[in-house]
Amino acid sequence: MSVPKPTRISAALGSVVVVLGLSACGSGTSSTADTAGEQPGGVAEVAITLAGDSGADECRLSPDSVAAGPVTFTVTNQSATGITEVELLQDQRILGEKENLAPGLDPVSFTTTLGGGTYQVYCPGAGTELTDFTVTGAAADQGGSTQARLKQGANQYGAYVDTQTAAMVHGVKALQRAVDSGDLAAAQSAYAEARPYYERIESDVDGFVLPGFPATDNHGNLDYLIDMRASNLDPAVGWHGFHAVERDLFGRKQITPSTKKLAAELTSNVTKLDHLVATLTYKPEDLANGAAGLLEEVQTNKITGEEEDFSHIDLVDFAGNLEGAKEAFAYLEPGLRTIDPAMTSQIGHRFSQTEALLDTYRRSDGLGGFVTYTAALRHTDANQLSQSVQALQDSLSKLAEKVVTA
Amino acid sequence: MDDANESPAPVVADGSDAQPPTNSRRRRLSRRGFVAGAGAGALGGVVAGAGAAAAVESGDSGGGSSDTIDLSLSVPFYTGLHQAGIQTPPQRYCVFMTFDLVSRTSRDLQVLLARWSAAIAQLMAGRTLGAVQPPRAGSVASDTGEALDLGPSSLTVTLGLGPGLFRPDLGLSHARPRLLEDLPRLPSDNLDPATTGGDLSLQACADDPQVAYHAIRDLARMGRGVVNTRWTVMGFGRASAGQGQSTPRNLQGFKDGTRNLKDPDEIDQFVWVRDDVDWMAGGTYQVARKIRMNVETWDSDPVSDQERVIGRSKQEGAPLTGTAEHDTPDFSARQGGQPVIAPTSHVALAAHENNGGVRILRRGYNYTDGINPVGQLDAGLLFIAFMNAPEHFVRLQRRLGSADLLNEYISHIGSAVFAVPPAPRSGHYLAEGLFD
Repeated sequence: MSVPKPTRISAALGSVVVVLGLSACGSGTSSTADTAGEQPGGVAEVAITLAGDSGADECRLSPDSVAAGPVTFTVTNQSATGITEVELLQDQRILGEKENLAPGLDPVSFTTTLGGGTYQVYCPGAGTELTDFTVTGAAADQGGSTQARLKQGANQYGAYVDTQTAAMVHGVKALQRAVDSGDLAAAQSAYAEARPYYERIESDVDGFVLPGFPATDNHGNLDYLIDMRASNLDPAVGWHGFHAVERDLFGRKQITPSTKKLAAELTSNVTKLDHLVATLTYKPEDLANGAAGLLEEVQTNKITGEEEDFSHIDLVDFAGNLEGAKEAFAYLEPGLRTIDPAMTSQIGHRFSQTEALLDTYRRSDGLGGFVTYTAALRHTDANQLSQSVQALQDSLSKLAEKVVTA
Repeated sequence: MDDANESPAPVVADGSDAQPPTNSRRRRLSRRGFVAGAGAGALGGVVAGAGAAAAVESGDSGGGSSDTIDLSLSVPFYTGLHQAGIQTPPQRYCVFMTFDLVSRTSRDLQVLLARWSAAIAQLMAGRTLGAVQPPRAGSVASDTGEALDLGPSSLTVTLGLGPGLFRPDLGLSHARPRLLEDLPRLPSDNLDPATTGGDLSLQACADDPQVAYHAIRDLARMGRGVVNTRWTVMGFGRASAGQGQSTPRNLQGFKDGTRNLKDPDEIDQFVWVRDDVDWMAGGTYQVARKIRMNVETWDSDPVSDQERVIGRSKQEGAPLTGTAEHDTPDFSARQGGQPVIAPTSHVALAAHENNGGVRILRRGYNYTDGINPVGQLDAGLLFIAFMNAPEHFVRLQRRLGSADLLNEYISHIGSAVFAVPPAPRSGHYLAEGLFD
């Protein structure tokens, strides 16, 4: 289970700085328009008031123009039942936002430093969703933007995928050696050790197609050749990869010449994958969709116990998917934090919760480091595992939109 | 399951929960500009949506007229008095779900209650929870969409707070409603932990089942990470009558709710809390019981015996001492030395005359869970009742569970109790007073 961990990106904050603040005031939403939002400390104050008393929900700004510099937006939902979030946009890019807005909650605020130009406050669900907001003065330095930070994270994620496939090559070579030696117990153990590398990056399978093969031909589909289960076989190609080896080691409990051939073939295909991923590039939204996709994998194949039909090491794969999702999120985190620190922290918190739950199944003497995921365990525990994962998946599924818009 | 509580002859329309007492004798529903789809005609009694966009007061529903359905009607949420879905005349369908709080901070609960409140207001008005088709690439929809264009369908969503919310670690124990605690173990209880308890309840009732289910689904989705789903029942065929409604039948084929509380003054007396914590003023308590019926056994019982078990005639629903449904049962009448209505019949044990005057407001629905492992129909009654002291249910069920002839044919397999806070005013949210 020990994996070379990639280095986390240190967030070098640029000119657009967003800090989280909870306004201390109660329902004080009185206008500061007379002073054009200027406050003695040099921070301009802008009130965003959401109200739904006159039929359609409204999103009102006061004032709608301030001088360049730090600006605190305080959002109060007085009575708008149809608005739950507010974003500050420029050129359709998100600079800051607040979610979980509802009538009756205390006002919330965010502060951002803005250069001169035209911005929009976006209130999805309001009668008028976009309201212009003007900042007078010099334009901001565009360096170090959120978008640049996200792109940097996506590039670094590519390096992470490379480390995983490199480690996977070692893992499947160890599996092949154990199989060749005829030692069933050693081969079972090596199987469990090799699995997590693939599970961490299996969201990227769209790119796992060998050059020259059409996407519809499984002969060139490395995901098929490496990770296909018995339930989804293509008769034209046959069964290859991890799960065919798993069937021999855990189902038939014997190593045959065919097992050795499968293990050698697996090494060959994983080596091809290792070379292939070096050529792949990722966009920030690939990371966001990939993180949510890995948790979908957990829900559909691991919690159901379908992935590891013979070895029942589904919790090992679960951990692999979860780690892969967390890595993808970690590379987006510096950029996401500038947009919405509260949302970013919440997702981080949900990762921690799911990890803590999964940690209760770790056993140092278990295959792959976890208890065996038996039908009995599934019956008693799948519900809470599934609900924890679903909460995380739901939060992650909203990221792609933010990342594309950032 | 049947027949607690005498009601006077049906008076005017109902009292919508939602209204201040002065208005409480009129059904206040507003009609949106909604045209029912072609499919609506397939439902008996459906009034195809009139296009009137203005809110109307349909102060109607005297007699049996409120048994018809108008899918364009909506019920107000922000009344500042009682939550809807209690005194509101029962809609045709209801989805009930309970949840466990999994977050350890009261702040998460607070935000969820505020967001649920705003969402419930949207849903009851027949609106979506944000975009069904979001404009931006890569977006997930904020509303799942299946209730789009179905109309408000008189949806009501009623929130309950379970005893578990007031445990010490959340810091809310000072605000615990005075009478809120887990129900004691009761005679004949056969409770399955999988259909028992919950820290929060949502009861979504509507005249279109998809509108009710959509509400529960999207509210559950909104709660993920803060609450886990615990148990749910999808109810159909209201098994209790509200004011102005004819008495419906439960799955045993008997009228259910003949003597239900209907008169607003009686509801004031027996349903809304008095002398409770401040934030519960205008609130009530909800008891939910999942009651499985042994359908096959019941169906093979002669009707004469079924009538003896219930204490009423099957077709008319008259007490065995009378001839018409609303005749008052005479529990002292004897024939050949034997009581005409058996003291262990369901009616006799549940009647307020025999329970120190205790009455509760029932709002049950029939349910089915399909077929059980031995091939029998798995069906029964989702019993929901509102009262100003859960002890009133306990008192009734102690007697019923001990002696009811009906116990041979039913089994209480699920149970939960909740405090039901009052409705918020505009700009506020359900149970806001908890966090003061």
